[in-house]
Amino acid sequence: MAISTTAGHAPHEHGKPTGLWRWLAATNHKDIGSMYLWFSFTMFLSGGVMALCIRAELFQPGLQFFQPELFNQLTTLHGLVMVFGAIMPAFTGLANWLLPLMIGAPDMAFARMNNWSFWLLPPAALLLLISFFVPGGAAAAGWTLYAPLATQMGMGMDLTIFAIHILGVSSIMGSINIIVTILNLRAPGMTMMKMPMFAWASLITAYLIIAVMPVLAGVVTMVLTDRHFGTHFFNAAGGGDPVMYQHIFWFFGHPEVYIMALPAFGIVSHIIPTFSRKPLFGYTSMVYATSSIAVLSFMVWAHHMFTTGMPATAQLFFMYATMLIAVPTGVKVFNWIGTMWQGAMSFETPMLFAVGFVCLFTVGGLSGVTLSVAAVDIQLQDTYYVVAHFHYVLVAGALFSLFAAIYYWFPKMTGKMYSEPLGKFHFWWSMIWFNVTFFPMHFLGLAGMPRRIPDYALQFTDFNRIASIGAFCFGLGQLIFLYNMLRSIRHGQAAPHKPWEGAETLEWQIPTPAPYHSFVEAPHVEAGDNGVIHSMTGGAHH
Amino acid sequence: MAESSRADNRVLLLKLGVIACVMFAFAWALIPLYRVICEVTGINQLVKADAPAPAVAASDLAVTAAPVRLRFDATVQAGLPWQVRPLVGQMAAPRGEFVRVDYEITNASNREVTGQAVPRYLPAAAGNYVKKLECFCFRQQVFKPGETRRFPVVFVIDRAMPADIGEITLAYSVFDVPGQGAS
Repeated sequence: MAISTTAGHAPHEHGKPTGLWRWLAATNHKDIGSMYLWFSFTMFLSGGVMALCIRAELFQPGLQFFQPELFNQLTTLHGLVMVFGAIMPAFTGLANWLLPLMIGAPDMAFARMNNWSFWLLPPAALLLLISFFVPGGAAAAGWTLYAPLATQMGMGMDLTIFAIHILGVSSIMGSINIIVTILNLRAPGMTMMKMPMFAWASLITAYLIIAVMPVLAGVVTMVLTDRHFGTHFFNAAGGGDPVMYQHIFWFFGHPEVYIMALPAFGIVSHIIPTFSRKPLFGYTSMVYATSSIAVLSFMVWAHHMFTTGMPATAQLFFMYATMLIAVPTGVKVFNWIGTMWQGAMSFETPMLFAVGFVCLFTVGGLSGVTLSVAAVDIQLQDTYYVVAHFHYVLVAGALFSLFAAIYYWFPKMTGKMYSEPLGKFHFWWSMIWFNVTFFPMHFLGLAGMPRRIPDYALQFTDFNRIASIGAFCFGLGQLIFLYNMLRSIRHGQAAPHKPWEGAETLEWQIPTPAPYHSFVEAPHVEAGDNGVIHSMTGGAHH
Repeated sequence: MAESSRADNRVLLLKLGVIACVMFAFAWALIPLYRVICEVTGINQLVKADAPAPAVAASDLAVTAAPVRLRFDATVQAGLPWQVRPLVGQMAAPRGEFVRVDYEITNASNREVTGQAVPRYLPAAAGNYVKKLECFCFRQQVFKPGETRRFPVVFVIDRAMPADIGEITLAYSVFDVPGQGAS
C-alpha cells in the first residue's frame, strides 16, 4: 500500500461512496479520470459550438451573423477551450484512469491532490465562458494572446489570464501526480524499459508540462502587470518589446504542441499492436523517439515567428531544427506501419480510428515540414494553410486518438460493450467530413486567405462553403459518439474479461469492469516490451 | 514499505515542484537573457552601421534637393489622460534648412501628470538624418490639471540623407512617468 493520502484507511475499509459526495470528494483515480473525461467532452462540445459559429459566418463573404469583434472572440475562445479544456484534460483523464492499471499501482500517488487538480478545472472553464458576457467581451487576441493586443483589451482578457493561471496549476499538479505514480508505484517486474507506451508518453508529456506551463503562467503574468501595474514588458513606448512576448509564449507553445501529440502516440502504440495481433515493432526506438521529440521541441519555438524580422542565422537554425523533428516522428510512423505489416489485422472501431490517425497525422506532419521552410513560411504565415495543418494534427491527431482510446478501453471502464456499428459509422462519418472541412483549407491558404478574419474576398467563397458544410456535418456526427456512449453505459452488452484478442497489457488482466479498488496489493509481473504481460501473480482487488 | 515509499513520493513531489518554480522564474529571466545573447553574438544586428557618408559633392546636392515629405503623428499610452496633436499633419521641407512644427499637448485630467515622449522615425533609417535642435521629448514634461501648452519642435534634415528617402513620418509615443507627478 503506497498511496500517501489515504493514510489511516486500508482501502477495503471503505466501499464505494455514493451520491454527490463521491464526486466532490473523489480520491479514486477511476472516479477522477471519469470526471476529467466528461469535463473534456463538455468542453469539446462548447468549443465545437464556437467552431460552428465561425464556420457559419464564413459560409459566404460579408458579415452575416457576427460582428468582427465577436468573431475574434469566438476564434480565440475556440482555441483556448479546445487546447486547455478539451484535449489536455482528456489526456490527463485517460492517464488517471489507466496508468495505475497499466503499471500495477493501487491508485495515483497523491489522491487528494488529484481531486484538487480536477476541481480547479470547472472554475477555470467558467471564467473563460463567462468572459463573453462582461463589458468588452471575451479575449479576442487569438489563442496565442499576442501583445500588444492582449495588453489593450477589456476585462475579458483578465478573466482569461486568471483562467490560464488556474488551468496551469491544475495541469502541473496532474503532471506531478503522473510522474510520481510512474516512477515510484510500478509493480515489481514492471521496469521502465518494459512499461507500456502510453505510460512512457504520459511520463514524458508530464515532464514537458512541468517545464513549460510555468513559462506560460509567467508570460501571461507579464501581460497582467503591463495591463494594470505600469510595467512595460511588451510596450514599445516604454522600452519593452512586443516580439519578446512571442519568444516567451512560443517557448511554451511549441512543447505544448507535443503535450497534445505524445499521449496520442502512446495510445496508438497500444491499439495497433492489439488489432494487428503482433507486438509493437521497435519498442525501444519508440521510447527514444518520444524522448527525442520532447527534447527537440524546446529548440524550435521561433519557427512560429519567421516573419518577425529574425536574423537569417536564427531562421536557418530554427528551420533545420524543425525539420529534424520529422526524423523521430518518421520513426514512429514507420514503426506503426511495421507493426501492421503482415499482422492478422481486424478493423474494430478503435483500430479504425488508430489507422485514420496514422494516415491523417502524416498529412498534418507533411504540411508541418512544408511550413518549417522559412522561405515558404513567409508566404504561408497566418493563412488558412496553417489552420489546415494544425487541425490535421490536433483533430485527426489528438482527437481521433482520444476516440480510439475511449472505444478501446470503454469495455474495461464500464463493463459494457459499445455499439460496434454505431462506432464504425462514427468513424467513417468523422473521417469523411473531417477531410471535407479541412482539406480545402490548404488550398485557401495557398491562395492567400488569411486566418482569423470574419469576411473574405469573393474568390475564396467556394472552398469556404465546402469547409462550412463539412464542419457542420462533422460536428453533428459527434452526437453519434455521445449517443453511443450514453446508450452503451446503460444498455450495452456485458463485456468479456478481455474483449480484444490481442490486448496483452496489464489492465486487461483484471476483471471487467475494473474493480473500484484495483491492485490494492501490487502484483508480481513478468513483462515484455510495451508492457506485454507474460505472467502475473498476486494483485488483489476490492 | 508504505512509510518509505510515502517519503519517496514526498521527495519527488518536492523536486518536481521546485522544477515548476524554477521554470516560472526562467520565463522572467528570458527577458534579460535574450538581450544578453543578442548583444554577445550580435545576431540581431539587422541594420549594420554604414561607412561614414562621403562628402556630398555640389552636383549631387541638386539631385537630392527635392523637398522631403514630412508627416507628423502622436500616440498616447492607454490610461495617460493627455491629448497630443501636431498643429500641421504634414508638410514638405527642403533638406538642410530649419523646420519648425508645433505640437499641442493638453492634460485632460484634474491631476498633475508627468509624461515622457519618445520619437520614432519611419523609415527607421531616416532617424540618423533628422537633427533635432529643440523638442519636448528631450525631457519629462509636468502638466498641471487641465493645462494646455504648445511646444515647438525644430530640426534640420541632413543633406547627406540618401535620395531614396522621399518621405519621413515622425511619430511620438507618449507615456506616463509613474510616481513623478509632483516633481
